[in-house]
Amino acid sequence: MTRDNIKDVILEIIQDIDEDAEVKEVKSDQPLRDQFDLDSMDFLDIVMELRKRYKLQIPEADYPELATMDSCVNYLEPRLQNA
Amino acid sequence: MSDYRLVIIGGGLSGLAAGIRYARFGRKVLILEKHVKPGGLNSYYSRQGILFETGLHAMTNYARPDDRHAPLNRLFRQLKLSRKRFLTHEQIVSEILFPNGVNLLFSNDFNLLKDEISAKFPRVIDRFLRLVQIVEDYDPFTPCEWISARKRIKDILGPAPAGGNSVEDELFVNMLLWPVMMYGNSREHDMDFSQFVIMFRSIFLEGLFRPEGTIKDFLDMLLDQYLSFEGEIRFKSQVESIYSRGNSVHGVRLTSGKEITCDDIISTVGYPGTLGLLDPAVTEDAAQYEGGISFMELIYLVSVEAGNHLKNDRSIIFYNLDDQFRFCRPDDPINIHSGVICFPDNFLEIRDRIKFQGKDVFQIRFTHPADYDRWRNVSSEEYKEMKIFWGEKSRQETAKIIGNYLENVVYQDSFTPVTIEKFTAKSKGAVYGSPIKIKDGRTSFKNLFIAGTDQGFLGIVGSMLSGISMVNQHVLEKI
Repeated sequence: MTRDNIKDVILEIIQDIDEDAEVKEVKSDQPLRDQFDLDSMDFLDIVMELRKRYKLQIPEADYPELATMDSCVNYLEPRLQNA
Repeated sequence: MSDYRLVIIGGGLSGLAAGIRYARFGRKVLILEKHVKPGGLNSYYSRQGILFETGLHAMTNYARPDDRHAPLNRLFRQLKLSRKRFLTHEQIVSEILFPNGVNLLFSNDFNLLKDEISAKFPRVIDRFLRLVQIVEDYDPFTPCEWISARKRIKDILGPAPAGGNSVEDELFVNMLLWPVMMYGNSREHDMDFSQFVIMFRSIFLEGLFRPEGTIKDFLDMLLDQYLSFEGEIRFKSQVESIYSRGNSVHGVRLTSGKEITCDDIISTVGYPGTLGLLDPAVTEDAAQYEGGISFMELIYLVSVEAGNHLKNDRSIIFYNLDDQFRFCRPDDPINIHSGVICFPDNFLEIRDRIKFQGKDVFQIRFTHPADYDRWRNVSSEEYKEMKIFWGEKSRQETAKIIGNYLENVVYQDSFTPVTIEKFTAKSKGAVYGSPIKIKDGRTSFKNLFIAGTDQGFLGIVGSMLSGISMVNQHVLEKI
């Protein structure tokens, strides 16, 4: 997947969690939690959705890597290159 | 290879929520329910074409759809249900009623309760607001020692100011405790402060409401969601034993003899109930986990004309007309001097009237503290007579509060702690479960977890959050 594809997937998952989230206005270097008012249960949904879709296991120790859109894409790019 | 990744024992609200949460991510899960219908304590039945709810008066934890972090809305997100399409009817006004007409009104606007306290207990209002702040900041979910809610509240309220009246303070504490206890305290006389915090928030800070329609519509919505994720449920399937080997469990056997293997089990049948299923048997003493709080519920349909003379402008009345505050098993089969009176039709914007034999009627429900043993240890003849006798006593006593409704009754039904035990997994009809809560849901078996009432969340929203959080914490990472 390209970096843009990965970004779209993340935004789609967030939109799915919150139908009112203004995902088009995402700032890629700001924490996703703050921008979309996500709590830890929502955050778990992002991780689980990635696992369900791409069989991608993200260990809890790596959760901080998913803090911003930029860090998400950096983290996921090598892991989803064949997805 | 096991038959299922996860088996959930019990198709009540915590079991259904756990099931949806797990099935959502595509793994095989089976819910086993002993009754022919889902819901557990909050189920329904039909008589003469009318659907009656077994447990529901109102749901707690009201939140507007845009309040993202409210428990109710988190619950909907976690189950991938649309909160916007879930229609609610908020309470109009409810009342806490004590002897000599002393009362406090409250609604989903917390300012009403504050104004009531300012007017009726002016000396405690500042200290009450401090208590509210502490309740808001408190983390009731982290396991900790049992703390007496009564003592903690008194400490927070502090000694009565010079010239103050400690009897009045005591009355105030009792009035705060009464609805909180009636709607969710599993221990006699006192309450765990964490449980108090959970219930205080869910009743007073969030509020009471009814879902559109009946509990059946709510359960159908959950069941549809579960089935849409390809979750499986079997009714009339009572678990007889849970097989264990070493420190893990690996399957269940039903009373029908059928055996089902699985990788994880979430049990919602209570902690003592779960211990009792283990094979080989465990030595842990289950008695300390048995709760003593049960109720008798009386349900009446009355003709609408009764509205002209009854005091029926409340949603719910939590009353305690005993001279002494007694939250415990009564000395009689039921305590008619205290209880809850609910008018399910008195919620905002409920327009549809129930019709009984072509006539418009409304429903009144009464809940009294009851003693399981006194209902259990009698012949079926005596049991029937007791139901009639205590129903009559209840009507005489509650008529003093809302007026005489007897001549307007067109249909009545009632059930006792024995009925509750028969249709739910609540041992001794203890609706709020064990006085000791298993907050982390863990047992001495590494893949057996407790969810629901005995895990410590209460009410419909609470038990569902319990199911969800036990799945999140213990089994989701294994997917």
